[in-house]
Amino acid sequence: MVDIKPMTAEYEAYLRDESRSTGDAQSISFPRDEQEIREVLTSIAAASEHVPVTVQGARTGLAAGAVPAGGHIMNLSRANRYLGLRRDDAGTYYLRMQPGVILSELRRHLANKTLPTDGWDRESLAVLKHMYDGPEQFFATDPTEISACMGGMAACNASGARSYRYGPMRPHISALRVVLANGDVLDLPRGAVRATGRHLVLTTEGGRAIELDLPTYTMPSTKNASGYFVEDDMDAVDLFIGSDGSLGVISELEVALMPVPTVTWGVSCFFADEAQAVDFTVAARPALSDAAAFEYFDAQALNILRRQRTASTAFSSLPALDDAWGCCVYVELACDGESQALADLARLRNVLDEQGGSAERTWVARTDTDRETQRFFRHAVPESVNMLIDERRRTDARITKLGSDMSVPDDRLRDVIELYRTGLAEAGLESAAWGHIGNNHLHVNVLPRSMADYEAGKELFGAWAAQVSAMGGAVSAEHGVGKLKRDFLVAMYGEDHVREMARVKLALDPFCQLGRGNLFDPHLCEGGA
Amino acid sequence: MHIVVCVKAVPSTTEVKMDPETHTIVRDGRASVINPFDATALEVALAIKDARSAAGERTRVSVMSMGIPDTERLLRDCIARGADDALLLSDRAFAGADTLATTYALSCGISQLDEAVDLIVCGKMAVDGDTAQIGPELAGAFEMPCITDVQEQPVVCGRILWARRACDGGRETVEVDLPAVITVAKDAAQLRMPSIPGVLAAEAAPVAVKTAADVDADTSRTGLAGSPTQVVRSFVPERSQEAVAIEGSPAEQAAALAALIEEGCR
Repeated sequence: MVDIKPMTAEYEAYLRDESRSTGDAQSISFPRDEQEIREVLTSIAAASEHVPVTVQGARTGLAAGAVPAGGHIMNLSRANRYLGLRRDDAGTYYLRMQPGVILSELRRHLANKTLPTDGWDRESLAVLKHMYDGPEQFFATDPTEISACMGGMAACNASGARSYRYGPMRPHISALRVVLANGDVLDLPRGAVRATGRHLVLTTEGGRAIELDLPTYTMPSTKNASGYFVEDDMDAVDLFIGSDGSLGVISELEVALMPVPTVTWGVSCFFADEAQAVDFTVAARPALSDAAAFEYFDAQALNILRRQRTASTAFSSLPALDDAWGCCVYVELACDGESQALADLARLRNVLDEQGGSAERTWVARTDTDRETQRFFRHAVPESVNMLIDERRRTDARITKLGSDMSVPDDRLRDVIELYRTGLAEAGLESAAWGHIGNNHLHVNVLPRSMADYEAGKELFGAWAAQVSAMGGAVSAEHGVGKLKRDFLVAMYGEDHVREMARVKLALDPFCQLGRGNLFDPHLCEGGA
Repeated sequence: MHIVVCVKAVPSTTEVKMDPETHTIVRDGRASVINPFDATALEVALAIKDARSAAGERTRVSVMSMGIPDTERLLRDCIARGADDALLLSDRAFAGADTLATTYALSCGISQLDEAVDLIVCGKMAVDGDTAQIGPELAGAFEMPCITDVQEQPVVCGRILWARRACDGGRETVEVDLPAVITVAKDAAQLRMPSIPGVLAAEAAPVAVKTAADVDADTSRTGLAGSPTQVVRSFVPERSQEAVAIEGSPAEQAAALAALIEEGCR
């Protein structure tokens, strides 16, 4: 029987996540498997059906989805075993695991061929041997935070730089097992249960049928992690991916693996100004079929790196940036061979020449050392910004980073950047922007110098949410909505559609216990929608 | 000014395989990288070239290696980063060389270059052999002055070079007349990344590949035959440390840990 422990100072860290928001809770548990997850839920429901249960993984989320809103914290970091492996007729490998598996460990085990196999059946072990004898495999989704756990990544439909080519978590998830608030279990292999139009019938392992009228909105055709995924005749598993822990507890997941590309080269292209970088991106996207990522770093982000390089020994190994370089677009090429990669480089050179850039102002990383240098360069930007914010918090602890996570369709990239620049200039705010320009998805970070800046930034983000929605975009492209962006969800879909989402939740979680406060205002649920 | 940079292909640290018969490293090229110290040597040479070129002096950087044919790939990478040309000494007669035979082969190659050498830059040591002997031995072969363990980018003015090197108690600045040999520490510089034109041009650039006969080398002085050093045995040291997991309440764990420390102190 798993322990349900009262909250004490020992567990204080579990009241927070990487969003730096803090919640409150009365108890906490660390179940190790599906059975223990069910025990915790039924035990809590036996005491009171109205106790909120917040599910946590590695607490690396940026939207406060794992921050408790009272009640119980169910932390799944100890449910971290690998459960088995299968291979389909097309030769794709599918790895089954518990939700607490950490992404960096999964990557390490795949690269070193050291997947823990305790408890695996003979068939899985035979498939594993076959996989190890063949080309190296990898898991494609690559959020910047590699200490994220797989369950959390599924819950917010996480993405990363390479989502430009491989998409977010969703297409790589081939099955989920989900425990509902009352302890019932749904087994959801992809392709097994589909909606008819917008009507979905789920049957629990106990035989209980749950009928759902799915929301009627149309999702934007952009990178999107805002609210429940719905479309006509959808697969049932897709409803739970990206549901922010609000519909059920993911107790197991199965993900597809892919062969590691033969050649991966990173190319950092530097430009005099932002307009050139955007023109280059727009022209390079259709020209490069092997591009896995297009990432952007604006002038302020590069200036922060210049300062960090001289101010801190931890950043002294950053490569020097020429003063004339105003901004950077990083392009990652994933190719089947060197000749293909060289042909791509020649195409990139041509695009740079045509768009007023310069092929001379590029860094090409083809070795592990150079790739690591470029990785350090790209990851040093958010790290440096976090350090800057921590410094400013010393003068006012209420200040936190404000980072946007919005995406728009391809043809609105120039418009959204114009929107950001105009808004920031008019509000007089300090900022740094970086992120996934290939997906028209930039993280604009306001760097508040005071609480007035912080409030102005929040107001600006609210205005952007409405304008980005009007452009056909998404208010959250990869972080999820959590508790911090639920107002944006209303801006994106409107109140009626958010009520439709709440009705789906109530059908699966009648007392609104799971992930309370995620996606929508709790009152919307409690009122019975 | 003509600068020669000596580079060595070394196994990527996670992929070292030993030949059980000869006790030498299996060099099949697949996971080879430029020795990190030699990468720094190349950057030091390229930075001197940048400075001299800016001052209007024609400066040429040649890279040279002795190795298997696949080493050409690494030399081409050096050209992509800014080296002007490359020479690979590749012949079965060079195989199994110790530092003396390697130095002899390299000195034969350098002697055959079409332009006199003003400066030879080597990494302080190679990460696979750790001998740190090639640079000083080359200086001996050509009777040039040698500054070892250079810690910062050296300065060249006319025919004089100044370099900061590590010494007992700190660092010292040494001045030498060119021609000279320097060996550089890994942190003296950070090798630049190539640009797109650099990579594309390097693919088309010629890399000269020469045999022992091509450089007039006496094969009794090359490879295993010319190596007085004999490797008797190589082995991976056995691990003698064990991890002990201590379980129980915090108080029990603390007591068990104290007992272990006490036992270790006896």
